[in-house]
Amino acid sequence: MSHNEQSGEEKPVQAPAGTDAYPPAHAAHHIPSEINELYAPENNGRHLAALLTDLGERNIYDAAAQCNRCGYCETSCPTYMLTGRETLSARGRNQFMRLLLEGKAKNSADAAEALNTCLLCGACSSACYAKVPTPDIVLEGRRTLSGYGDNFFSRAAVKTLLDAPGLFGFWLKLAYLAKKTGLPRLAARLGLYHLLGMPGLADAEGAVDRTPLRFAAELLRRDPSLRPQGKLAVNWAYFAACGPNYMFTDVALATVRVLRRHAGEGIFIENQCCGLMAHNYGRLEDAREFARRNILRYEELKAVFGDFPVVADCSSCAAFMKSYEQLFTGDEDWRPRAAAFAAAVRDILELIPAEKIDHAPADKLEAAGRITYHDSCRACHGQGIRPEPRAVLKKLAGRRYTELPESDWCCGGAGAFAFTQPELSAGVLDRKLRNIASVQADTVVVGATSCLIQINAGLKAAYPSARAVHYSVLLDQLTAGKELPPDNAKIKL
Amino acid sequence: MFKHERISAIRPALEAIVGADNVRTDEAEILMYSYDAGMARARPEAVVAFTDPAQVAPVIKLLYKNGIPFLPRLAGTNLSGGTIPLKGGVILNLSRLKKIRRIDTGARVALVEPGVVNMELQRALEPFGFFYAPDPASQKVSTIGGNIGENAGGPLCLKYGVTSDNVEKLEVVTPEGEVKTWSYADPGPDLMSLLVGSEGTLGVVTHAWLKILPLPRHIKTASAAYSSLDAAMRAVTRIIGDGIVPRALEAMDSVSLGAALNGKTDPFPRGTEAVLIIELDGGDLGKVKKDLDDVEKICAANAATAFRVAADEAERELLWAARKGAYPAMARLAPDVLVEDGVVPRPRLPEALRETREILSKYKLTAGLLFHAGDGNLHPNIIFDRRDIQEVKRVKKAGYEILKSCIKLGGTISGEHGIGVEKRVAMNWLYGRDELDFFRRIKAAFDPLDLANPDKILPVAADARAEAAPESLADRASLSPQARSLVDELRLRSRSGERTAVTGLGTRLKADRIMEGAKTLDLRSLAGRAAIDRENLTARAEAGLALEDFRAQLKEAGLNIEIPDLKGSVGGLIASKVWPGIRELLLGLEVVTADGTLLELGGRTVKNVAGYDAVKLFCGSMGAYGVIIAATFALSAGARRAQASAVEPAAWDAFEPDDYHRRLKKALDARNLLNPWIYRTTP
Repeated sequence: MSHNEQSGEEKPVQAPAGTDAYPPAHAAHHIPSEINELYAPENNGRHLAALLTDLGERNIYDAAAQCNRCGYCETSCPTYMLTGRETLSARGRNQFMRLLLEGKAKNSADAAEALNTCLLCGACSSACYAKVPTPDIVLEGRRTLSGYGDNFFSRAAVKTLLDAPGLFGFWLKLAYLAKKTGLPRLAARLGLYHLLGMPGLADAEGAVDRTPLRFAAELLRRDPSLRPQGKLAVNWAYFAACGPNYMFTDVALATVRVLRRHAGEGIFIENQCCGLMAHNYGRLEDAREFARRNILRYEELKAVFGDFPVVADCSSCAAFMKSYEQLFTGDEDWRPRAAAFAAAVRDILELIPAEKIDHAPADKLEAAGRITYHDSCRACHGQGIRPEPRAVLKKLAGRRYTELPESDWCCGGAGAFAFTQPELSAGVLDRKLRNIASVQADTVVVGATSCLIQINAGLKAAYPSARAVHYSVLLDQLTAGKELPPDNAKIKL
Repeated sequence: MFKHERISAIRPALEAIVGADNVRTDEAEILMYSYDAGMARARPEAVVAFTDPAQVAPVIKLLYKNGIPFLPRLAGTNLSGGTIPLKGGVILNLSRLKKIRRIDTGARVALVEPGVVNMELQRALEPFGFFYAPDPASQKVSTIGGNIGENAGGPLCLKYGVTSDNVEKLEVVTPEGEVKTWSYADPGPDLMSLLVGSEGTLGVVTHAWLKILPLPRHIKTASAAYSSLDAAMRAVTRIIGDGIVPRALEAMDSVSLGAALNGKTDPFPRGTEAVLIIELDGGDLGKVKKDLDDVEKICAANAATAFRVAADEAERELLWAARKGAYPAMARLAPDVLVEDGVVPRPRLPEALRETREILSKYKLTAGLLFHAGDGNLHPNIIFDRRDIQEVKRVKKAGYEILKSCIKLGGTISGEHGIGVEKRVAMNWLYGRDELDFFRRIKAAFDPLDLANPDKILPVAADARAEAAPESLADRASLSPQARSLVDELRLRSRSGERTAVTGLGTRLKADRIMEGAKTLDLRSLAGRAAIDRENLTARAEAGLALEDFRAQLKEAGLNIEIPDLKGSVGGLIASKVWPGIRELLLGLEVVTADGTLLELGGRTVKNVAGYDAVKLFCGSMGAYGVIIAATFALSAGARRAQASAVEPAAWDAFEPDDYHRRLKKALDARNLLNPWIYRTTP
């Protein structure tokens, strides 16, 4: 029992040789590579060079060490609340990463469960006074897991999406077709969904009612009014996130209509995937490539039109693009360009000012019933968007709008989480559904497509009189018929 | 060594009780239960999680039988290393036991499991118009079980008492795995209160019956800004001294304020060095408003630069968010923070503050200062980086010096955070050898094999070496000649093995109860004038002082004590526990044990969690554990509050000792010399 023999006081880690003996707390010091070879220079591409935290630029060690273990995040962590295990808590995950970097934990595989069960919801960072970026730290941890991001399916999906988006779309349509023709199990068995990096779709069939055979990008591309050609100025550029693009075409189209109605004419940016999928699969270099392509596209347009906002209608995607700079912290050339792009990104949730919204007509509200708002994690925790959509909804729906208790409790969707951790996900979802039922809501407004799938699947089973609707779709429905002349930008963006 | 095997050997049995999923020994689980919010670290050998409170006793029984150490753990937010498994063994993870089992607004009791988060309980009570008073700053995450283990306080304890004043009854699993249900109001020595604040060293709480109170009809919250902390502290002393009982009276300095505001607009004038948050409540709006006016006048008279009453709930919440966020917000300033938890008698706060600042500057440290000012409880939050070894050393030294300064000023080393491992050494400075020995006997009576959270609270050999033995408190006690002669008398009787019947003033003890052959010990001579500390609102009275006389002396001083009109003496009031509410007023005791050892327990501060709550153990002890010779009480300055007249139970000494009462008796008076008839029969 030698390790416990002493008074239990921990000996602080020796500062690495060759550096300042004891640099001040806020000075970012390098991760001692002799302490952990996982962060050796040759692995640089696999990891972020630095994290952009609320307290400034930090390497991962300093970012994790900023946690003073006060534990005030614990009750905000869905997996901790469900399991009561420190191991599956925000503080636990952070501490594990710190111990790993300090060489006190030897093998990140030991904490595979802790790292893989994180929803990346970021509720812990919101609760944290120092805003320790636990989701980013967890992702860094996942990247140390051997094989992470290297399995056949994730590589195939990301590579196809990156290099042959047409082929990706073809496969997806094939899968959808199989589903439509009543052969969903066949599609699942063929591994098509896995191939697409969306294993969730196989199980989400109940949730995704209408699978599109034409993707939003294809439809928007055909619309001449959304092309930059012949325009002197653009008020906005629509960024088709993968969810709205490949699965919820109606969301994408509604967003464009809402933008036109309230912000005048704009364009479709003809983007690539934002890279979030590749990022969360551990394929950082691929994520950077997606980002570079989107940044290039933006720069092309910016050279012609000057500043304009890039509007996305999936909060996960918008939040990720707002953090593009972090992908390039080790890259002098791309970093400022990424920062400029990130600064132009807007979530549709934050875009429309409530002052410009009128109370919706009674008949339309009647159909919507009691409206409530679910804070998608990447909106509230990822981007700090809380009051904006509420103000709009209140203006639109008046007394029909009601607050959702624990509205920022994750729904458990979290990308593929619902399918990789079904039990935990169901537990997290259950609390969300109870809260929805507690206010007897009919329409639950969300801002991310992952939430849309997850909450609708849950509601269908447990509370079928309610449904989840994307913010753009509801806004579109409730404000339809108030079209403006196409060249008249109603709001300044 | 053989550690791994000792868990594997009992693993099947453990799994049979809690299920295979709930017994974990994998590396990640072990690592993540090797730390808490403090600085200490040690690895457990296994983590056992529970899904039903009924699983706790069999698991503990099994561990005890196999000689494996264990300790209960919940949210792990404690600040003194209490949940660190210093000797390895098993962590009992109780955090899934989080059911609120009953809320009884009629009886004003809530029955909860230990894992219920304090805030969740408050949320559940609110619709019924009730609240649970202890409100530690960590209440968003900390649990009832943890609050009980540490005897947590919080801003509201100024008016409503700390956790131990708000627990009605506990279901406890003893270290040997027996299930006991103890209430403070049970006849006989108060075992329940002994468990509160015992940090899992005497047992594990599996159910708690908590006192709940109706939400006050009116709450007024005000803030006052000062350009010096000293001025703020003077205002605090005046407010309390004038008989105003705020529900909270908190102070924070500019460092804490800046961290907590975190860029939000600072609502206070430029040059503000200290801010007071004063909150008043009550059912009578007129009275609350009048108190508020008085508070404002006092603040103004003490050079407040601003005084502002929160206009609405939002403004009030902002103030409290700043106060409750001041500790976690230190994380913005540095990666680590050491929270000290010293207590001094309230009037000594300015001195304590001055000394604290001198110590901090001597060691070149930065700290945010935070006070439960009304209680004399100060929390310097010293920031540092654990990776800087030199800085860590300076922080520890400074922390210890701050504690020493608190002791010197008549205070104590922990008001609400516990002793755990980090303050063990300081117990040597606060207590004499006899008191520590007394605590050790209590521990051994409950846990003969020393398996329940071993090496916590009480100094171990290594700690003693760290510091020269301090003077014994017994030497410091200002005993009257009568008291001294009584100590001598007991020593003589002990030597000759003579039995004693402690008769006090002879108010309650009937002659026919007294065992034949026991020599009476009259306490009439112990009736010196009470020593009243006007500013601190405390008084020390000798045991033989009649309550009537005590009250008269207080009245002369313009003070009073909130107890019903009872006959008899000060000592009798405590020893007989005819009015169990005494627990809320009793701060300190001087007791002579059967062998003539003088113990000075508790102190002069309203908050004190250093060591076991032995003061309450003597409530209802009926003279059989020791002879009370003096007691220190909390007083009030305003008019006497309406008291329901207490009816004395006719059979006040009808008492069937619990097995643990007997164990303690054996530990404290093995020869059964004091009031021997009470423990005459052996079970």
